Amino acid sequence: MAKLFERRLTPADSPLAIFATTITAFLVAMLVTAFLFLYYGANPFLAYFALCHEPFATLRGFGYSLVRASPLALIALGTIMSWRSGFSYLGFEGCFVIGATGAGWLALLTAPGGRIGPVPLSLFMPLAMLFAFTVGGIWAGLVGVVRARLGGNEVLISLMSNYVAILILQYLVSGPMRAPGSLPETPLLPRTSWLPFILPGTRAHAGILIALAAAGLVWMMLQKMPLGYELIVTGFNPSAARYAGINVRSRLVLAAFFAGGLGGLAGMVEVLGSQHRLMDGISGGVGFVGIVVALLARLNPLAVIPTAILYGGMSVGADAMQRRASIPSSITFILQSLAVLLVLAFDALRYYRINLPYLRRTPPSVNEQVYK
Amino acid sequence: MNGTQNMGFAFVVTWLSSSLALAGPVLLAALGETFAEQSGVLNVGIEGTMLLGALASFLASYYTGMIWTSLLFAALVGIFANVFLAWMYITVRASQVVAGLVFNVLALGIADTVYRRAMGNSAAPESIAMFHPVRIPVISNLPLIGPALFGQTILFYLTLLLAIVAHFILFRTSFGLALRASGENPAAADSAGISVYRMRYTGTLISGAAAGMAGGYLVLAQVGLFRESIVSGQGFIALGIVIFGRWNPLKATAAALVFGACDALQLSLQIFGPRVPPQLLLALPYVVTILAISGLFGGKAVQPRALMTPYVRD
Repeated sequence: MAKLFERRLTPADSPLAIFATTITAFLVAMLVTAFLFLYYGANPFLAYFALCHEPFATLRGFGYSLVRASPLALIALGTIMSWRSGFSYLGFEGCFVIGATGAGWLALLTAPGGRIGPVPLSLFMPLAMLFAFTVGGIWAGLVGVVRARLGGNEVLISLMSNYVAILILQYLVSGPMRAPGSLPETPLLPRTSWLPFILPGTRAHAGILIALAAAGLVWMMLQKMPLGYELIVTGFNPSAARYAGINVRSRLVLAAFFAGGLGGLAGMVEVLGSQHRLMDGISGGVGFVGIVVALLARLNPLAVIPTAILYGGMSVGADAMQRRASIPSSITFILQSLAVLLVLAFDALRYYRINLPYLRRTPPSVNEQVYK
Repeated sequence: MNGTQNMGFAFVVTWLSSSLALAGPVLLAALGETFAEQSGVLNVGIEGTMLLGALASFLASYYTGMIWTSLLFAALVGIFANVFLAWMYITVRASQVVAGLVFNVLALGIADTVYRRAMGNSAAPESIAMFHPVRIPVISNLPLIGPALFGQTILFYLTLLLAIVAHFILFRTSFGLALRASGENPAAADSAGISVYRMRYTGTLISGAAAGMAGGYLVLAQVGLFRESIVSGQGFIALGIVIFGRWNPLKATAAALVFGACDALQLSLQIFGPRVPPQLLLALPYVVTILAISGLFGGKAVQPRALMTPYVRD
């Protein structure tokens, strides 16, 4: 009856098992992508080297990696906040755009000719963060209210709301907020509203510090605070939560608000740290890649930062690859999403154990015969 | 006076006929999705499947010039992609929302990579063989509704026919009953000798074929070229239409027409209308879909009860 692969009753959930399946999934995804590189006539080893060299071995590239990683990390943290509370929110693209719009609008008010006039950075930054967090939070919180009060399906509603947010920004930058010129975009934001650069010689800005702080806060809230505990119980088993006296509806709306707020912060970081103006198409799918980052980090807030830097770096490397070797950067989309799909699929492997004694028994080894 | 009347007439005619035209592809995708959801699988991956179908039909039409073959090829690509998705949903039992969503990102990457590889660096979009509107004699000359109702492409009429066929299969055949049982109470269906896994695979593959063809519909009957943004949320709107249509093919047809009318209003108003910001009108279909599925109008009671719940056979 002994088999080489035995089915376990429960999946192996030791950190080693999880780590091993994740790495295997990644390697298989890289192998598949290697064939794509071959298809493009590129040497896969050189391609992977190029993919990693620019973002992680050059200071300039590493700066760009941090720039890309900051919004990704914040969105991933928002994903963790909502998904662990049982709220399958997918509207981060919209929160990102709304937060960016709010921050950009506020920054333009403080321009020299603006309605408020110049404001010191130490006063402006907290205000902008609060504002972006609030507008993003309200945007997602509304979906939370719909789910909690009316029982609507938050998956689809949040997907649809993305398009509404993108169109709102498109309207603003092609109408009321448009700068004179041919492109639909706002004027450059005043320098006093930019996030400070943190690494000399690079474009890396303080957004990554905001993401780091947010990761710490989310971790503390979910792991160490009663509110986080209530949120997670709500996510695990709403009926049990209700039975324990937790107000499930208000917790759901709260989780949606926090998640949307983090998405809004991501938008603020992008517009004040990197773009320095509002334009159509500012989000470009970052709301979905952020969700992918959260999944790969297995909804663990502390694992989000390295994962986001890895993913941000990959996109920087891909752009370099496209410039130099004219391999389309969309290949990294394939690599990134395939990795996540395979991580999910390979989770099934943890239901099996390899029965090594089976290997040793057939054929009976010389030692065994001697000891008999 | 006569002039404004003609304006109004022309407005209504273009609005009606583009309503129907725009409703076609999403309706086709929604019909397939109805099968998946009735069997208990929420297939979010139809957005990406539509994109792959669109690319497949574009390339097939570009290289062979045969439109029906291109449509069939799109359906095959849709089925092939959804074999993987169905395996993730049903056998691996991954979260259906997550697997579908990440698949959409994967499809975007594949479509862009393959398209660039196939088309090289030629920036100009190539023209391909397409379906053209058929004008049904006599009745297409009816005033007002004639050109709109009877001047569509053959694919539109086929989609309407499919809606009726889908309704019949779902609610009048034993296969439909078994499919719905798998989505309503899989354990009971299993006890009754129905293979829940087979039903769910079938439902998902039907949705894949339909979504692939819907992508082909977009390319072969409407746009005539391929670009990354060709689907831009229409797969998600099809998901909304399924809910709005209460998991019923005939009601989904009505829902798709409502959606098409909103979408077309924006096009018509841009041509004829006063100075309304186009973004406001472009947002209309999304807002309508959000309202329709928000639960304001009920609908929770008719949802397949085991939707999004993977089945574990003990």
